Amino acid sequence: MLRRRNTKKFWVALFLCLAFVSGCDTLEAPAPPKPLRKETLNIGLLPEHNIFKQIRRYEPVTDYLAKKTGVHIRLRVLTYRGNVIENFQFLKLDGAFFGSFSYLLAHAKLGVTVLARPEYPDGTSSYHGLIFVRKDSGIRTVRQMRGKRLALVARATTAGYLFPSIFLKRAGVRNPAAFFREIYNAGTHEGTVDDILDRKADVGVSKNTVYERFAAENPRVNRELLILGKSADVPENALALRRGIKESLKVRLLNALITMHEDSEGAKVLKAFGARRFIVTTDADYGPVATYTRELGIDLTGFNFPAEE
Amino acid sequence: MKKRILIGLGIGSLLFMLLGAYIIVTVERATSRLDQLVQLHQVEILREHLLLQIKRVQTDLAWRGTRYASGVDTIVSHGIQMGRMVERCFQCHHSPQVTEDLVGLKSQTDQYEDFLSHVLTLEANRPRREAEQDEAVRRGQELIAKVNGIIALTSRNLESNTREVFRQIAITKTMLFILIAMAPLILMTLGFLFIRALTNPLNILLAAVRRLKGGSLNHRIDGLKDEFGELATSFNEMAGSLQEQMQKMQRTEQMVVVGELAAGFGHEVRNPLAGIRAAVNLLSEELVLNKEDRDLFAQIVEQVGKLDALMKGFLNFAKPPKPKWERVSINGLIEMTIDFSLVSHRASSPASDRIDIQKSMGEGLPQTMADPVQLQQVFLNLLLNAYDAMPQGGVLAVRTRYDAYKDSLCIDIKDTGTGIEPEMLERIFVPFVTTKSKGTGLGLAICKQIIEQHGGSIEADNDPAGGALFCIVLPVKREKEEVQTT
Repeated sequence: MLRRRNTKKFWVALFLCLAFVSGCDTLEAPAPPKPLRKETLNIGLLPEHNIFKQIRRYEPVTDYLAKKTGVHIRLRVLTYRGNVIENFQFLKLDGAFFGSFSYLLAHAKLGVTVLARPEYPDGTSSYHGLIFVRKDSGIRTVRQMRGKRLALVARATTAGYLFPSIFLKRAGVRNPAAFFREIYNAGTHEGTVDDILDRKADVGVSKNTVYERFAAENPRVNRELLILGKSADVPENALALRRGIKESLKVRLLNALITMHEDSEGAKVLKAFGARRFIVTTDADYGPVATYTRELGIDLTGFNFPAEE
Repeated sequence: MKKRILIGLGIGSLLFMLLGAYIIVTVERATSRLDQLVQLHQVEILREHLLLQIKRVQTDLAWRGTRYASGVDTIVSHGIQMGRMVERCFQCHHSPQVTEDLVGLKSQTDQYEDFLSHVLTLEANRPRREAEQDEAVRRGQELIAKVNGIIALTSRNLESNTREVFRQIAITKTMLFILIAMAPLILMTLGFLFIRALTNPLNILLAAVRRLKGGSLNHRIDGLKDEFGELATSFNEMAGSLQEQMQKMQRTEQMVVVGELAAGFGHEVRNPLAGIRAAVNLLSEELVLNKEDRDLFAQIVEQVGKLDALMKGFLNFAKPPKPKWERVSINGLIEMTIDFSLVSHRASSPASDRIDIQKSMGEGLPQTMADPVQLQQVFLNLLLNAYDAMPQGGVLAVRTRYDAYKDSLCIDIKDTGTGIEPEMLERIFVPFVTTKSKGTGLGLAICKQIIEQHGGSIEADNDPAGGALFCIVLPVKREKEEVQTT
């Protein structure tokens, strides 16, 4: 009985094999679907603090956006060194998380449009610039800064260039290069704080968000540094896209960003990023920066960056 | 034997289970060790890659400012990969010491990244840039030294671990080979022992059967155990029984011969005896004899009568008459025999009046096919023996009952006399064995013969309370056919 059953099974298996083989011969195998080439967006990241940490901080956000919009997003470092606008073009970027002044420059020179910026858990979505010194430096006024070393961030930054320029101008310093023994750009907001702490410079500038984040990690900041001045609030670094990007993609990206907090996965990413949500940002939000540029007589379209030594 | 087989099978199964378990555990352990080793090598490779990555970043730094310099993006990418490799180091399980080392490595890498970031973003005069770059390179060298140190340490550990693992695998392999080679040997040994344990007793039994067949009825089997021991006991019992039956058969044959001789002899003797008695009677009537001579003649006649009775009994025993079967009520037959025995005994013994006869006759006893005359002879013989055993009087108990289970009738006759001497008990039914001075020794032998002719049995025993007890068991025969088959 068992043998008969096994024989039956054998014939059924043989029949199925033959059917399968003959089917392979007669039917045309469906061509494997060609993988669709994903659209790639190159997004630049302007250094605010340690660029490695910054990439690790922004990667989950861009990964989330890529998942939601179906666009492959590649994060690239857009340094302030030299001409940030030229760097943007050289790297063939499609957009970047611009600081307030760098956005105005890119908007003026390249026509990039801003989409959204983060809003922090305390409800703020802006930052301001700070001027600080070491408490033990004895510097308490601008006059006492004469002959000292000034650590800026970069020329294309509000907190790291525009604000100290205004601050010094308002204090009567007409020629900072002659007033200070040395002026240099640390390249990041965290870099200036580091340099003042390490006595590599005497006067430093930074944006408050980076300063405070650094202070939370390093108790030496509040213990050893003294803030002498601060600027008006300007919009936090925002995502802006170059001219030529499809409107539909812009809408998809904007929607993904501003609804991120409604999605559990997005909320998780936002929490790790340190923000509550992303909010819509327009050119009108950059009013205080425009005021600074006007006060300094900066022509955004003709603004030049000094060549590196 | 069954127990032995079960124990053997149990031991065999246990051995194989242990062997299987050992092989599985050993293979599992060896693969686990190899897996561990592979993981250690992977970690080693990871560290080598980390070292290469750090060196790559260092090269990026060294080329910085030259026309061969990589772009910031590329250097950052290398730095990110370096950071990820350090993170991967934490994914493996480590001892606290290694974890501490890794935490130190991570901290050092973070610092290196800080300096690297600084160098990549700094816009300052050449001395400041060079100072920052030198610091970053120095930190990178320290990091390389740290990773080299870890690699050297882990390499040493890895080497010793590898040696140890290979040593253990070699031992395991040897053990496995030995076990695999030993398994058939163990199997063969167990099989041999098992077969020997089975065939040895069988050979002994076979040899015993052959000897029995050859006529050695007194051969017995010793030394076998378990089921074979039981078989040997049965064999011994069978041989004993055969021997006994053979002796009985021989005796029966002898008896048959003796019986035939005796029948002829008896017939030949009884006729002259009748002549002698008639002649002596005639002489004693015709001759004028004094009292002494007359008594002498009377004694001759008496002795001749005795000889005649002996010859008659002898003939009866040697050539018993065939039973004449008819439907009989045992209770009625016994009642009648008791009455007759009392009359008969009263005539010869005045003590008859002092004998209390207690009858316990079973009710509803089935009738059975039997020869009433022969059975009456048996009962009468037993009753008269009982009277003789109680010369001063006593109690004679007669009981009948029906054993439904055996479909038999049981008749017990018990007296309160002196009982039977123990040495006589076994021989009491043997012909010519008697305790009476005037007995022929054929009465009970004939009783036994008659009862056995009826398909029953008779046994004698002493009642613990005193006196002798005779138990007769007669199978109930309802039809003639049953009688014919008996």
